[in-house]
Amino acid sequence: MNPEPFLQLDRVIHEKGRLAIMSMLAANPELSFTELRDALSMTDGNLTTHIKALQQEGYIYVAKSFQNRRPLTTCSLTAAGRKAFVEYINLLEQIVRQSKSNPSPKDPSESK
Amino acid sequence: MESDWAVQHLQTIRTLMERSAVYRHALAPIMLFAGVLGVAAAAIGLFFHCDSLRAFGSLWLGTAVLAAVGALLIVRRQALKDRELFWSPPTRRVVQAILPPLLAGMFLGAMFTFVSRGYPVDFSLLLPFLWAFFYGCALHSAGFFMPRGVKWFGWVYIGLACAILVIIAILRPEAEFSPHWLMGFFFGVLHLVYGAYLYLTEKGKNAA
Repeated sequence: MNPEPFLQLDRVIHEKGRLAIMSMLAANPELSFTELRDALSMTDGNLTTHIKALQQEGYIYVAKSFQNRRPLTTCSLTAAGRKAFVEYINLLEQIVRQSKSNPSPKDPSESK
Repeated sequence: MESDWAVQHLQTIRTLMERSAVYRHALAPIMLFAGVLGVAAAAIGLFFHCDSLRAFGSLWLGTAVLAAVGALLIVRRQALKDRELFWSPPTRRVVQAILPPLLAGMFLGAMFTFVSRGYPVDFSLLLPFLWAFFYGCALHSAGFFMPRGVKWFGWVYIGLACAILVIIAILRPEAEFSPHWLMGFFFGVLHLVYGAYLYLTEKGKNAA
């Protein structure tokens, strides 16, 4: 079996918390911090850490503004983030196709 | 099987994307419901000769309210079935996006229907185009928070309304026909076609 797709999987997106954030942002133009936190049942600290990691990679854009005099943080995918997400899904689909014809290996993230 | 992680990842991504978007499974029944309602209203208008501006406007404004209530009930039923929140942030965003053009269209329609009596111009032939333009704009706005096809469906309304208006205004200005035909086409046939398309493609995706 060709191990190439496993090696190409984006380490930043592959983490389940960050993958969930990317998936939700891929389906919406933008989501607020609160919406993401409630939808994914994450703690503020956990979500902040993941958002910072994705932001540092240039995958999401974080905007801070005010709504009804209260601070509002919104997140959206950048073009690079969308491209990385699409590539990640394409690789997963490639792995699934391969696994249908060959015995497949474990999740590369679990083996670490 | 150990390799199922990739399939599970894809399934998780799909579920999250679907949950965070408006219930796309509800879109096909909503379109079919609106289509049946549109065709039925056109048939009623033609059969009972609702030709006066007031009768025409009342019939179609009533149909619009019925369609909106029905659409919300279908979305609510879908949300309850999937044990999800009905008034979720995505639903709220879609409603916020479509509300201004829909309310503006309905307000203008109501103005023409109930206030413009005595005017020398018959607005009943103008109303289908006006509503098609506003409805197209509403769909286009909603398309930013829904499957991309909705945005194109909005353009179909605007494009067809422009094309038919040009044909009637320039090529066949002498043609006389009931505006119920236009309404039946815009709000009956087009919804049915798009609903059938969504239903068939969704069925195909699920089968794959």
